[in-house]
Amino acid sequence: MSGLAVAAPEQTPEHPTAASRRRRRGSYRWSARAFSLPAVLVVAVLLYLPFLWTTWISFTEYNGLGSPSWVGLDNYRDMFADPNFTTSLRNTLIWVVGTITVPVSLGLLIAVLSHGMRFGSWFRLPFLIPYAISGVAVGVVWRFVLQNGGGLSQALDALGLPGADSRWLLDAPMNTLVMIGAAAWQQTGVNALLFVIGLQSIPREPIEAAKLDGASGWRMFRHMHWPMLRPLTTVVVGLSLVASLKTFDIIWVMTKGGPGRNSETLAVTMYEETFVTSAYGAGSAVAVFLTVVTFIAAITYLRRQLSTERTV
Amino acid sequence: MTSMAARVLRPAILLILGLIWLVPVYLLVVNAAKPAARYASDQVWRPVGEFALFDNIQEAWELAGLADAVTSTLIYSVVAPALAVLIGAAIGFGIVALRLRHGFFWFVLVFGGTVFPLQMILMPLFVGYVEAEIYDSRLGMLAIYTAITLPFSALVMRNFLGGIAHQVFEAAVMDGATTWRIFWRIYLPMSTSALVAVFILQATFVWNDLLLGLVLSQSDEVRPLMTALTSLQNTYGGSQLVTVLAGGLLVSLPTVVLFLSTQRIFSRGLNLGQF
Repeated sequence: MSGLAVAAPEQTPEHPTAASRRRRRGSYRWSARAFSLPAVLVVAVLLYLPFLWTTWISFTEYNGLGSPSWVGLDNYRDMFADPNFTTSLRNTLIWVVGTITVPVSLGLLIAVLSHGMRFGSWFRLPFLIPYAISGVAVGVVWRFVLQNGGGLSQALDALGLPGADSRWLLDAPMNTLVMIGAAAWQQTGVNALLFVIGLQSIPREPIEAAKLDGASGWRMFRHMHWPMLRPLTTVVVGLSLVASLKTFDIIWVMTKGGPGRNSETLAVTMYEETFVTSAYGAGSAVAVFLTVVTFIAAITYLRRQLSTERTV
Repeated sequence: MTSMAARVLRPAILLILGLIWLVPVYLLVVNAAKPAARYASDQVWRPVGEFALFDNIQEAWELAGLADAVTSTLIYSVVAPALAVLIGAAIGFGIVALRLRHGFFWFVLVFGGTVFPLQMILMPLFVGYVEAEIYDSRLGMLAIYTAITLPFSALVMRNFLGGIAHQVFEAAVMDGATTWRIFWRIYLPMSTSALVAVFILQATFVWNDLLLGLVLSQSDEVRPLMTALTSLQNTYGGSQLVTVLAGGLLVSLPTVVLFLSTQRIFSRGLNLGQF
């Protein structure tokens, strides 16, 4: 017993790893902090501090001058009573539904059609060009195409199709729908690219086996590719969902949320309230609402996806 | 029989869809190349004989102050992502190699910096920038672009540096290298590929930004490119559309060229890289 007790302390130097690791951790503690500090500092000052400040301002009345005065939930009450907000909320919803259906399904279609095809990447090139263009440039191009009597109207007229007289960007909800079209034009390519990567990572064996069993075409896709693409589809739809809630650039360039604020989304309403009307409290309330909606949507979506995946 | 049909049908559908996708590009290029005097708003599909693209680009360059905006934006989209990648690599190094205490907490804190919408920080940034007298300054723009691109850089760099065996660090310590030297001479050179991929993604993001420029800048010298293009559209959208279109084409060329030439890096990095 006693021999063991004596031997124990002598053993420590023979096991250098534990002791020296402790020493090393100690001696690098300060340099570890020094290397990590800049990142923490930058993020804290320029991202988290403003975040907290916006949250606080949303409970106050403030126009940038003087000091904010506490008004409790008044900004939120006014917000829900404002018809502009209701329109904005409705448009945001249309954007969400539009962007998670159109560009995602078109992207999937293009990926499936071009997958395993000779020169497949060349066929995908036209869809990738718009993705490399900024939202502002996309807005400039489509505003030009969709102006009254512009490119689209002239084409419809020449083909003898109806709709040449449509005021694409002036009438709601038409203007929101065509702007979703512009966004889909931009986003489809990247979704196609992501789905192609997903298709390439599907193992060959089960596909070969299904082929031997006589599966092909639609049935092959429905029962083999589609289930295996499921995790990737979750990611693509999730990303589109979050991105659609933040849509700003295209709308700002094409309609500025108008005419008469009828094509605003929450992201545009926040900008409008804060920087056009200088109602900082009201604008902050919209920002907080948008953030809460984004979080709830993302979490609900991910939880549902994960739970159905487990049961399947 | 069905496979024959599929062999023809698949490329046919792709080709038709692809052509539809190129139509707006066609309209952009054709009309951006028309001399202002010969542009007719009811004849946008038909090219005219004269080719005035470069004149129009020059017009946009001078008239809209795009020259200043291009200089500023080049600075922003090179310096800010470079700083973000370095600062992100530094915290990655601190966590992975130097085993920062509660490293995961600090990492989540930094990465969490971009999960909320930009709208949450615009107003305080504007007010704070005015207070700190960096509103409408290149320094202020650089600071926010660095901050906004940092969380994603930290994510990728931490993951990448985590793949480097810790023995590398221990061996360097045995040789008597300081942590600073190990970071600059060993870890950074070993992660060049990740550094470049993140840098390209973030540079594109900064190049394409509209909202931060709209809120935090005003003058021609400071204002970034997309903000300048938007105001060009607002001013000349009616009277000199060809100039606006030429401007749109000009600002898009760099990112299109960059994207298409680095598609491989992008398609690997994109899984994580979307904002």
